[in-house]
Amino acid sequence: MEITRREFIKTSAAAAAAATVGIPVSGAVQAAAREAEADWQWDKGVCRFCGTGCGIMIATKDGRIVATKGDPDAPVNRGLNCIKGYFNGKIQYGKDRLTRPLMRMSNGKFDKHGKFVPVSWEQAFDEMEKQFRKAYDEKGPTGVAIFGSGQYTIPEGYAAAKLMKAGFRSNNIDPNARHCMASAVVGFIQAFGIDEPSGNYDDIEYTDTIITWGANMAECHPILWSRVSDRRLANDNVRVFNLTTCSNQTSDIADTELIFKPGTDLAIWNYIAREIIKRDAVNHDFVRKHCVFATGPYDIGYGMRPTDEHAFPAEKDTQAKELKVKLDKWEAIAQRRKEGEVVEQKHRTKAMAHWLISFEDFKKAVEPYTLDFVAELSKGDAAEDMDSHRQKLKELADLYIDPKRKVVSYWTMGFNQHYRGSWVNEQAYMVHLLLGKQAMPGNGAFSLTGQPSACGTAREVGTFAHRLPADMVVFNPKHRARAEKIWKLPHNTLNPKVGSHIVKIMRDLEDGKIKFAWVQVNNPFQATANANHWIKAAREMDNFIVVSDPYPTISAKVADLILPSAMIFEKWGLYGNAERRTQAWREQVPPPGEARSDVWQILAFSKRFKLKDVWGEKPVPGLKAAGYADGTLPDVLAEAQKMGYSPDSTLYEVLFATPEFRKVGWPDPVAKGHDNHTVKALGEKWFPEKALFNEYRKFGVGHAHDLAEFDVYYRDDVRGLKWPVVDGKETQWRFNAKYDPYVKKGDFEFYGPALKALPSGNLDRPTSKEKTSLAGKAKIFFRPYAAPPEQPDEHYDLWLSTGRVLEQWHTGTMTQRVPELHRAMPNAQIFMHPEDADARGIKRNDVVVVESRRGKVKAIVETRGRNRPVKGYVFIPFFDEAVYINKVALDVTCPLSKETDYKKCAVKVYKA
Amino acid sequence: MNVSGILVVVTPEHIDRSVEMLQDMEGIEVHYRDDNTGRIIITQEAEHIRDEVDGLKRIKALPNVVLAEMVYHCFEDDDELIEGIPPELDEQEGVDSVPPGLND
Repeated sequence: MEITRREFIKTSAAAAAAATVGIPVSGAVQAAAREAEADWQWDKGVCRFCGTGCGIMIATKDGRIVATKGDPDAPVNRGLNCIKGYFNGKIQYGKDRLTRPLMRMSNGKFDKHGKFVPVSWEQAFDEMEKQFRKAYDEKGPTGVAIFGSGQYTIPEGYAAAKLMKAGFRSNNIDPNARHCMASAVVGFIQAFGIDEPSGNYDDIEYTDTIITWGANMAECHPILWSRVSDRRLANDNVRVFNLTTCSNQTSDIADTELIFKPGTDLAIWNYIAREIIKRDAVNHDFVRKHCVFATGPYDIGYGMRPTDEHAFPAEKDTQAKELKVKLDKWEAIAQRRKEGEVVEQKHRTKAMAHWLISFEDFKKAVEPYTLDFVAELSKGDAAEDMDSHRQKLKELADLYIDPKRKVVSYWTMGFNQHYRGSWVNEQAYMVHLLLGKQAMPGNGAFSLTGQPSACGTAREVGTFAHRLPADMVVFNPKHRARAEKIWKLPHNTLNPKVGSHIVKIMRDLEDGKIKFAWVQVNNPFQATANANHWIKAAREMDNFIVVSDPYPTISAKVADLILPSAMIFEKWGLYGNAERRTQAWREQVPPPGEARSDVWQILAFSKRFKLKDVWGEKPVPGLKAAGYADGTLPDVLAEAQKMGYSPDSTLYEVLFATPEFRKVGWPDPVAKGHDNHTVKALGEKWFPEKALFNEYRKFGVGHAHDLAEFDVYYRDDVRGLKWPVVDGKETQWRFNAKYDPYVKKGDFEFYGPALKALPSGNLDRPTSKEKTSLAGKAKIFFRPYAAPPEQPDEHYDLWLSTGRVLEQWHTGTMTQRVPELHRAMPNAQIFMHPEDADARGIKRNDVVVVESRRGKVKAIVETRGRNRPVKGYVFIPFFDEAVYINKVALDVTCPLSKETDYKKCAVKVYKA
Repeated sequence: MNVSGILVVVTPEHIDRSVEMLQDMEGIEVHYRDDNTGRIIITQEAEHIRDEVDGLKRIKALPNVVLAEMVYHCFEDDDELIEGIPPELDEQEGVDSVPPGLND
């Protein structure tokens, strides 16, 4: 680069940075900046990484990305980018990018034990079709599965769900978002009857109290954290309070850090609720008008298998707790029972059940959670003085209760990845609702997300085993009827039996119940806890695993067929972030080699199946639903013919290339000269991403999930819109009459329709079958403290938690491809307390073995890192393929949400 | 060659000292400052992306820095990146290669 050009570029860079904070630049500088960028094409996009949803601008020149910048017009990040955002333009240029399909072969034929060999797309799909038919013909719709993703674009997730549910009549599609936010979903549905937050990120600027629970926002959501620190530094009255099990960067700016013992967050919430009642701080007017009280069974197990048939010998003692639990001292007090009592886990398959209770019962339930009890139970740092811990708990209650304070609670994986993750989500709403501090500017409990479209795609499109678009579920006949109408399917085409969630898909592979699985936009063989089982299942069982990915991940390594995928700016797409904001981008550059978009892959595969292959009578073991013969999906071919389909119509024609889809033409003026490789590869003249979005949109309009028209999201003056978008206007705070057009009466209305008719009962059980309607109301749940099923003991004497650090993201598939990013956290480390290291004869930078009942890995010891665990506790980031921590982690899940608890298991650590 | 535009926010009373320290750092130019808010706009030029990321970390570690985030990043004519594009990306040349490690 010649000097003058370099100076021009610097001028541009400085001008762009100045613009983000409103520093004026001269006309001459602006002219120089324009000159520097004269032959670049700038377009708006969204960051590929976390769930914050920062806007970025992308510049391209000659089919390559040449620059990126934080989008100054994006309300989320206002021009800033964290380090992850900065790599959006580089992520596609990794050395080991996959550019051709690769299949395991010997002697020119597929061989499960062969080596990977490049093949054509046609060869790849030929084998994939053959293997799919083998599994589907033998096992029916439950014999096949898709591992979906919270990183799917909206059209991708919609196409995958439609192909699986409407085409193959299988509900075995479940996203990796199950691992990161299923508990948040259950919390929303149980408390409000509708998914996703009432508030939005602007709460940060409206509030004066920010409380983080199990969320290291400083590292994991740095852009939101910069808004928090701006707010804190600009106003002396603002308080930031960080609750955590491991001292972290978020504590650096917090006024108070409270370290608690893993799992005792359940008790801390109840202490706050008890204080609210004792101090007569219940907002009775709000509660009477807008809330009811509820509870559910406690004996719900821990989401493990009910049998030890597959367990390694060392795992059996933990697994046994799935069926019977001996109450410890704390649980006994917290659940008003006797210490040592053995409780059979009778409601392990009915964990979602709940019923109404009286306020008097609720008061009785929180009564045991005194300051003394909770302080003693929850103190996480042995070195901390009990009085200091008590003082902090009291201060926490003061902050929530102070009538002059607005308060927001933020959490991420600390709550969601929890053996009682759904309960602890519900408890956050319990406190906010008791105080009437919810659904208004600056007041509310807010679940932060980890993936860019966990909300927009996984949840809203419904790529879960039980969901349909717009919060509908497969087991509700009215919901199925609506989906069948929009999808133009014969009556009873859809399968009413909930499919396998992501952990169960793994277990089903091990059990031989699923024999074909397709991995899309995620890395489940790295990301699923207790991984030794699943690798064995993939490689040793008779099944066929297809992995679509841009890079050779661990999942690709255990696959039989790898399909090379296009990355974010190599395709058209939309994402939805944590504050209900839907954002869109255009294809900026072509994918390399033969890599293709996931939309193309799904549509191309659908061409290989005819209605007669899939819409005849099909077995679904265990299916029991009104209007269906037990265990069977009916033959719907005759009705299909009445609707104008032929048994020889392909799924491509019936589900995708429909007359309606074909009307959405390509080229389209919205492209503004940008290309679409998916259209070209399909050889069509219609615009698949837009056609898919248009159809998807029908599900939400008029059902409180309204999205705008496709083209609106691409307008130059739009930086995403928060749904519901009604009459062109986005909704800032839901359930609040001032902001939400769906509120029909009163100042607040929690109008979500799900689970809004309940029986009544006492703290132990429902006592009447008669159901009361709770239309418009939110539920305040009582949930007790329950102990973690695996805790340190004499053999495995340390707590292990896993998680994310700033420079890495999830399983590292993408961020690790950028060597610089990898180097910032060179080898996975185990963060531990120096005294714990000393006691084991370990020094900083030693290589150690970390071993649990399930497996072991090696890691490098860090005693002075940015994560500063207390004694008895170690932390390992879960991004590194070389430190495959999920071999060690426990596959306990929240019994309601089926989300894995990656945060709590027992390990021992010794020198390698 | 990488050029980035970075927003640095420091406590306003320390802005003179912060600007001096930034100017002493390799590859950094200070373009604008706002004494009231403590905002400083700099560019950083670095041979490798790694140097750029490390540079940002050094800025974050300076005394009195409240925030330092990249806003703009240009890698036009970035030799490192071009060399970094693997032969696998080239349909004519690297099309038959299988990434090492995949067959382990």
